[in-house]
Amino acid sequence: MSIQDTIRDQVSQHKVVLYMKGTPQFPQCGFSANAANILRACGVTDFFSVNVLADPEIRQGIKEFSNWPTIPQLYVNGQFIGGSDILTELYQKGELQKLLVA
Amino acid sequence: MVTPEQIKTWIAAGLLCEHLELAGDGQHFEAVIVSAEFRGKSMVQQHQLVYRALGERMKEQIHALSMKTYTPEEWAAR
Repeated sequence: MSIQDTIRDQVSQHKVVLYMKGTPQFPQCGFSANAANILRACGVTDFFSVNVLADPEIRQGIKEFSNWPTIPQLYVNGQFIGGSDILTELYQKGELQKLLVA
Repeated sequence: MVTPEQIKTWIAAGLLCEHLELAGDGQHFEAVIVSAEFRGKSMVQQHQLVYRALGERMKEQIHALSMKTYTPEEWAAR
């Protein structure tokens, strides 16, 4: 299975997937920490997280999969939602909360 | 070390901007970008246009870039 197939499986099998540096408990980058905190603030505690620092192939592969050069990246219902800036903005507008319950 | 001015030049070279602000310390940068090319596009697509302008530099030289993107109309209405 190619890395692109692996990523496709991850985002289709889990409602909420966060590709991040580190883990929600021990994030290793401020932007990844911000993304995990926003999900928690939205009441999402059991999201599927992928630590890209533990898997160089995923780290590179997700950038190609999403056409997005940075980490973190959030997927909801198989759809790419954005990185740290977009999550912050959607959260402040109250739109992320709606996406997460949909 | 990359300077905010350099990033500003790179973005402006690849994307027609009506307004462009860049600040940063060499590691982390913040940009405010206003472009007519953002009209009708999602936030993801708007950021992708900026990333496309920066190209390979996003992978090597720029560690972290936060951005806020606006169409000219959104910017005027602020």
